[in-house]
Amino acid sequence: MTPLPLLQNALTVGAILFALGLVGILTRRNLIVMFLSAELMLQGISVSLVAWSRFHGDWGGQILVIFVLTVAACEAALALVFVLQAFARTGRLDAAAWQSLRESSLSRVVDQELPSIDTLPQVWPTLSPAGVLPQADENEPLQREHV
Amino acid sequence: MENISPSTLLMLVPLLPLAGAILTLLFGKALGSRAHLPAIAGIAGAALGSLVLLVGTSLEVGVAAGVHAEPVRPVEMITPLWQWATVENAYTPAADTQAAIPGTPLSATTHEARPFSITVALRLDPLTATMLAIITCVGLLVAIYSIGYMHHDPGYPRFFSLFALFVFSMTMLVAASNFLIVYVFWEAVGACSYLLIGFWFHKPEAARAAKKAFLVNRIGDFGLAVAVFLLWMSYGTLDFHDTLSANGTIVPGILGQTRLADAGGYQLSDAAGFAGGTIGTVICLLLLLAACGKSAQVPLHVWLPDAMEGPTPASALIHAATMVTAGVYLVTRCAPLFVAYPGALVMVSIVGATTAMIAALIATVQNDLKRVLAYSTISQLGYMFASLGTGTLLGFTAAIFHLLTHAFFKALLFLGAGSVMHSMGGVIDMRRFGGLRRVMPITAATFLCGACALAGVAPFAGFFSKDEILATLHSKAWPEAHGNHQQESPAAGHANTEMSRLMPTALISSAGTAPVGSPSGNAASVKDGLNSLNRPDVWRVLFLMSLVTAGLTAFYTFRAVFMTFTGPVCVPEEAGHSVHESPPVMTLPLVLLAAASVVSGWVLWSTDWLAHFLSATPSLTFAAVAQTAVAPVFHLNLAIQGTLAAAIGIVIAAIGHLGRRSDGPQMERFLGPFGTLFANQFWFDQLYSGLIIKPFMLLATLAAIIDRSVIDGLVECVARVPLAIGGLLRQLQSGMLQRYALAGVMGVLLMVLALAWQLRS
Amino acid sequence: MNLALFSPGLLLAIAVTLTALSLWLLLPRGSESRPVWWLGWLLGAVALAGFVCAGKRLGGIGEEAVFLTVSLVTIVSGTATIVSRSPVYSAIWFALTLAGVAGVLLVLGAQFLGVATIVVYAGAILVMFLFVLMLAQPSGLASYDRVSSEPLLSAVAGAVLLGLLTLSIGRLSVGPATPEALALASVASDSPTAPAGAAAIDSLEENHVARLGGELFGRHLLAVEAAGVLLLVALIGSIAIVSRGEPDATDNRLALPPATATKQPQGVPR
Repeated sequence: MTPLPLLQNALTVGAILFALGLVGILTRRNLIVMFLSAELMLQGISVSLVAWSRFHGDWGGQILVIFVLTVAACEAALALVFVLQAFARTGRLDAAAWQSLRESSLSRVVDQELPSIDTLPQVWPTLSPAGVLPQADENEPLQREHV
Repeated sequence: MENISPSTLLMLVPLLPLAGAILTLLFGKALGSRAHLPAIAGIAGAALGSLVLLVGTSLEVGVAAGVHAEPVRPVEMITPLWQWATVENAYTPAADTQAAIPGTPLSATTHEARPFSITVALRLDPLTATMLAIITCVGLLVAIYSIGYMHHDPGYPRFFSLFALFVFSMTMLVAASNFLIVYVFWEAVGACSYLLIGFWFHKPEAARAAKKAFLVNRIGDFGLAVAVFLLWMSYGTLDFHDTLSANGTIVPGILGQTRLADAGGYQLSDAAGFAGGTIGTVICLLLLLAACGKSAQVPLHVWLPDAMEGPTPASALIHAATMVTAGVYLVTRCAPLFVAYPGALVMVSIVGATTAMIAALIATVQNDLKRVLAYSTISQLGYMFASLGTGTLLGFTAAIFHLLTHAFFKALLFLGAGSVMHSMGGVIDMRRFGGLRRVMPITAATFLCGACALAGVAPFAGFFSKDEILATLHSKAWPEAHGNHQQESPAAGHANTEMSRLMPTALISSAGTAPVGSPSGNAASVKDGLNSLNRPDVWRVLFLMSLVTAGLTAFYTFRAVFMTFTGPVCVPEEAGHSVHESPPVMTLPLVLLAAASVVSGWVLWSTDWLAHFLSATPSLTFAAVAQTAVAPVFHLNLAIQGTLAAAIGIVIAAIGHLGRRSDGPQMERFLGPFGTLFANQFWFDQLYSGLIIKPFMLLATLAAIIDRSVIDGLVECVARVPLAIGGLLRQLQSGMLQRYALAGVMGVLLMVLALAWQLRS
Repeated sequence: MNLALFSPGLLLAIAVTLTALSLWLLLPRGSESRPVWWLGWLLGAVALAGFVCAGKRLGGIGEEAVFLTVSLVTIVSGTATIVSRSPVYSAIWFALTLAGVAGVLLVLGAQFLGVATIVVYAGAILVMFLFVLMLAQPSGLASYDRVSSEPLLSAVAGAVLLGLLTLSIGRLSVGPATPEALALASVASDSPTAPAGAAAIDSLEENHVARLGGELFGRHLLAVEAAGVLLLVALIGSIAIVSRGEPDATDNRLALPPATATKQPQGVPR
């Protein structure tokens, strides 16, 4: 590809990844998914930097990406430590669990009631040894329904 | 002592009471029970000074006058004190206001711009000297009385400082030689009256009465203020006396010699679009309004009966002898102004006579002794106004004569009532006590002297002064019976023939004879309407009203005397065991005033000294007034009529209330529905309350509501705006971190968008 | 539909709108309905096509099959990362995104970085995320995974940002040659096979890793050392925070009762 279109393509991809990551951070309430979105933004940045580096023939972009990688690793480590601390305090990985910064006259933001998910998958029966009637134990879950 | 000049003495007369007031104010607490000393000393000094001035002025008049028939030369002495205000070129008389400088031909160049300058100047002329003597002497006696009366009052020093302050204000009022200074002290005496009526301000009735007095006086003061404005507009100066302008020309004062010498000096022309004489009539009517306010004439009389809430010595001095006579003084001083406009003059008499009658009728059914005396004061002031309104020299001098005698006997009566109240423990309802002549003989004797003087029993003082008033009214009512000094009944607004002889022809055409179809419609017809009242039959009605009032006066006075002092001894419980005659410090003034009531009338009338003395007042040397001078003659028929009326009144009172019947309400039952009318004071108070006070209260409530909800609401709205904005912005602080991040992102996007928009090309 | 009628700006605007709409439909909003899900993906695809067309109109976007495929994979899996209801699925999709990014980097000629992305990100960081998920996962689908915080505004913000970026990317053009570039071009013009500027493309690929290393430890040595210190600090910091946060486990282990100090048995042979 000629240099400029390649640059533009790559920059577009980087921009898209960055925008997606931004939306993810702003929207998702799960702390893990938020951090994943932050990493997505960093990926977009990395792509853009490398594209520029290739276009200009300069090593600087790729060097910077190496450092971005390093810092992202450190950041992820510390961030996850904090996520675990937050989970220990509140028992949930919810960004909306932390609302102490609000104005004292306002009330806590609470989720509306969500429709229940009744998509319990069927429990497939296992075969007992030959000749023996299966003893089904209702209380024991045979596999995790959701992750 | 002989080296003190009259000017210095004239300055000392007001200053000594002022010094007394200030000293009492400063050291009253320290002096304790001797707090009266500075005030008494000040007033005594002023009394001495005013007597010396009186003597001096009368000698001057004696030198100036010759035989009665000659016109008396005016006697005045002006003592300028200082220049209070000066505004250069404040007034340029219009080209055709010939009243501005009388006698000068019409020319624009003769009327140069004048400064507005107020000179605080004191004057001394017979009228002022008489008033000063009355004020200070009666004031001194009442002050001595107050030593005993107010002895146990915690506000003792305050009373005396107010008293002395009042004497200062009143003396300055009668000695001032400028309308504005008169206005200042007019207000000052009103303020002193307010402070003295509300002396016991913890009592709500006293506070209310003081407020009422002040507010009603305010209406009169409004009239005086507007009159001062109009006088300035018409005459270009406010001084009574003539002054010298900067370049040596004489600026004629309103009541100065230059203008008084010119018979047409008070005929104001059609300046500023007014019909001939309207503005002059309006000025006089406004001055009459002011006098009504201060002298408690109908319709502004409602404050005087309520003013009896104040201490009795205050009532005696202010509301009997001095302050209420300020109105009479003002009209006498402005005699030339009134005489030039017969319409206003006859209004003065009508107001006076009507007031006299109404007040006398109300007094017949009053049970409170001080109220009787209050209405009696209103009635006697009405007499004085009726006399002033006749416009003759006799009328003016008779009014001042009556003022003098009234000062003596009314102060006496009030002090006597105070003496009674003092020993009855504060009870003044006549139905609750009786037969006090056995308990308080001196008070009873002096009260009787005062009552006889008031009723007009010969040879007490009131007889002579009332006789002169009746004489002057009679002379207006039956002019042909009184010889050659009458004013003929003018037709349709025409000035009298003597005056027309004196005035130049040019002035006649412009001044008096406003034809019926004159272009300035309404105003001329009002003036003509007023002038048309100047007819003998109107005067006859007024004379008869005065005669009837004389009878009523005698009736209610002796009703009061009989109910209080005759009959079986009856003492209310509040008196306790201290029912006794008053101490000498209180009875001595009573005796002195009684002596004055007895002899002053006879002495002054028989020597004709007062009338002769007063006729040298510059205002009364005005041609139109001086022409009406008559030789003093004793009108026997009038004397008989007056005495008969008084006798009838006394007899009816005796029938109703003498002796054992002294507590009987026979007269009230006799009057029937009229009794209710009189007892409710002709419902004047209720009328004012409904017509004026309630709408004002409504307006005030409305204004308060607007102030609270609209104006304060607007201010609050301004305050609510930041609160509202804050309330809105507060919603942003939700504590939800992702929303904060979103806000940041959107902000960045906005900036970038703006940048991109700027750079689009 | 004749796309020639649409100006690039209009196409871009439509693409932005459709992006916002599709993201909003896809994000978890509490109601789960299959049609909405498919509609969201459809609109997203249309939006992507719109971006491509707009980009073609604005500038010239060339076609390269490999690059296109890899980019598509990256973008789709990136979208799936942020819209998945389950955090574990998000992590898996993220892994796929990383693979796609690595592919893009390889296409761009950054061989070391492509591999490093896989190794570091997918191998280490993602695994760390999965560990934390294992430790802190809720039972069942949590309510906070099923709702989003301000989905519409965020989708609009992201889409507008994307539109702006695309606009500015599309407006890129090669400016006048700088003196360095001219010098470089003049050097490169000695070799007969390279056109002007093409030398720049090849200059990074030759001996790539060695030269990258040389550049890194040459010009940026200090930064490398600082990065090393940073890693050390992060390591120590995370351990410190974690150990302070848990009160019981470590403290109890340390608090041994002194009386139970065991003695060496006598019969231990030497």
